[in-house]
Amino acid sequence: MRYYVTVDGKSMEVDLTGDAPVVDGQRVEAELSRVPGTPTLHLLADGRSHVVVATRRDRHNLELHLNGERYDVEVVDERTRAILAMTGQGAIAKGPRPVRAPMPGLVVRVNVTPGDQVEAGQSIVIIEAMKMENDLKAEAAGVVERVATEAGQAVEKGAVLVEFRAEAEDG
Amino acid sequence: MLDKVLVANRGEIAVRVIRACRELGIRSVAVYSEADRHAVHVLGADEAVLLGPAPAAESYLRVDRILDAARERGCDGVHPGYGFLAERAPFARAVEEAGLVFVGPSADAIEAMGDKTRARQAMMDAGVPVVPGTAHALADAQDAAAVAEEVGYPVMLKAAAGGGGKGMRVVYESKELASAFESASREALGAFGDGSVYIERFLEGPRHIEIQVLADNHGNIIHLGERECSIQRRHQKMIEEAPSPVVTGPLRDRMGHAAVAAARAVGYRNAGTVEFLYQDGEFYFLEMNTRIQVEHPVTELVTGIDLVRWQLRVAAGEVLTVRQEDVGWTGHAIECRITSEDPYRGFLPSAGRIELLQPPGGPGVRWDGGVQEGDEVSLYYDPLLAKLVVHAATREAAMDRMVRALGELRVVGVETSAPFHRRVLLEPDFRSGDLDIRYIDQHPELLEREVTLATAQSLAVTAALLAEEDRQRRTARRAERGASSTTSRWRDMGWR
Repeated sequence: MRYYVTVDGKSMEVDLTGDAPVVDGQRVEAELSRVPGTPTLHLLADGRSHVVVATRRDRHNLELHLNGERYDVEVVDERTRAILAMTGQGAIAKGPRPVRAPMPGLVVRVNVTPGDQVEAGQSIVIIEAMKMENDLKAEAAGVVERVATEAGQAVEKGAVLVEFRAEAEDG
Repeated sequence: MLDKVLVANRGEIAVRVIRACRELGIRSVAVYSEADRHAVHVLGADEAVLLGPAPAAESYLRVDRILDAARERGCDGVHPGYGFLAERAPFARAVEEAGLVFVGPSADAIEAMGDKTRARQAMMDAGVPVVPGTAHALADAQDAAAVAEEVGYPVMLKAAAGGGGKGMRVVYESKELASAFESASREALGAFGDGSVYIERFLEGPRHIEIQVLADNHGNIIHLGERECSIQRRHQKMIEEAPSPVVTGPLRDRMGHAAVAAARAVGYRNAGTVEFLYQDGEFYFLEMNTRIQVEHPVTELVTGIDLVRWQLRVAAGEVLTVRQEDVGWTGHAIECRITSEDPYRGFLPSAGRIELLQPPGGPGVRWDGGVQEGDEVSLYYDPLLAKLVVHAATREAAMDRMVRALGELRVVGVETSAPFHRRVLLEPDFRSGDLDIRYIDQHPELLEREVTLATAQSLAVTAALLAEEDRQRRTARRAERGASSTTSRWRDMGWR
């Protein structure tokens, strides 16, 4: 089986049909073993040692911890990818993920209105929680589709505050 | 010596105090909120008393309940830790009026230092250098504008009752002053119940250097040298070290002498910290923290003096037997505050269950933790999970040791600040000691992540092999049901 793995927006193909994994055309002698009863894995890749802690989030999404960093990793096999592509859910340009309230708090200010073009890292909403103001930023460039909150509103953790669509070409 | 001490706090500092109590043969009483039923400090103390629901105002800030608990459990002392009630004079007073020992300074000393304008005046009278500015609370925005003209821009507006960065505003031009005054005053009112604001000249690029003092009830006051705490974000310290890369022996003597004078001016007893801003060879009194501080371990490591142990001993009336000439400094210590904040999303607080926690160990590593696996990190309290502190012979060795220790740390379930700390400890300006309080603003690259090709490959191989494992398991299950068998290419790899 071939797998398509996405890490921090970077996509790689991992071919497991041979006797060793091939990542983007490069063969890697790999051995993965699990510390029994734990989420801790030991990867030996071309003799190099890596400790990875893996937590499954859903069918296609994993959280991998490596060298003190946490990575959201998407993994899709070739068959699933083909199905997703046919049903139109595949690699279609989506906008940035919505800005959600990371904690219960009070919306202090909304810095955008629908139709605004935003850049990655641009301040979208200011939310106050724990007596501190927190600046919620856009994770990628896009266009504001909907503003679902207003200044002065108390919001729960996870509430969608602002939604986006991809940049102008398809909108 | 005290017999039984109530620890009016939670998290790592409660654990720290409980440990000191146990080493001294003092029984400890933990207090907790409903959210903290299984917290480390509750499990670690000799006794435990429920205070109330999760919000601090209904639990850790309930003076009445804490005093009731102390009386019911037969305590003779109360240790406030830091935060919560630690610097509230009425609490210290209520503890003493209940016939208990407050492990900290007198209520009067807390009041004298807690009112920042009064403290400034007291320091000027005691000959301690202060930043040019006003010693009085400003009447209104007009008053603020007049004073700012005198002091000279840029100026800093500060909450008189404040601390921790709340109610602070830097103003570069007169036209920004009125709105900054209003918002600082509003924030101060919300955070401290007092909207008083005063003005100081704003130093552009100072270092934050503070002096630890220790005093008994008999007039003996010593200082334990400095801590460099310039790595701050929104006035919250993130990395502290001792000694400071810029403090020489003679400067340490001068700053230590000023700190002792500051403490003496308010009749200080127990452990405290005098904070200074340092710029161009000069230092200025900033404020005094009338409590044990988060970063006290770096001083403990370089001096070999156990501060919390001494807090309990001098509170019990013992004479401080360590004289100033006995205090020496060995090697270099660094502390990283490991918080549940996401450095890649503007240090947004992160909540969740700690699924896995593996603290580092080995030579020269100290882990002062307040959480354990299974804990639910909530947004009710301070995001400090633990302090990772290292000690080594030199600053360079200490930095290398910290990088090594951070590499061993594994936390799954909440985001932590650890990746940020690691980057700072490897960054050339930090390595060379070239830093001031603007450091984080001047190094935005520390808040962005690059995934190297090697890392991406390792992750991709791991993810693909795990997905393959899953697929084969599903196939095997279907095969068992279908009473036929398939052979797995990956079966012999032993990773299931």
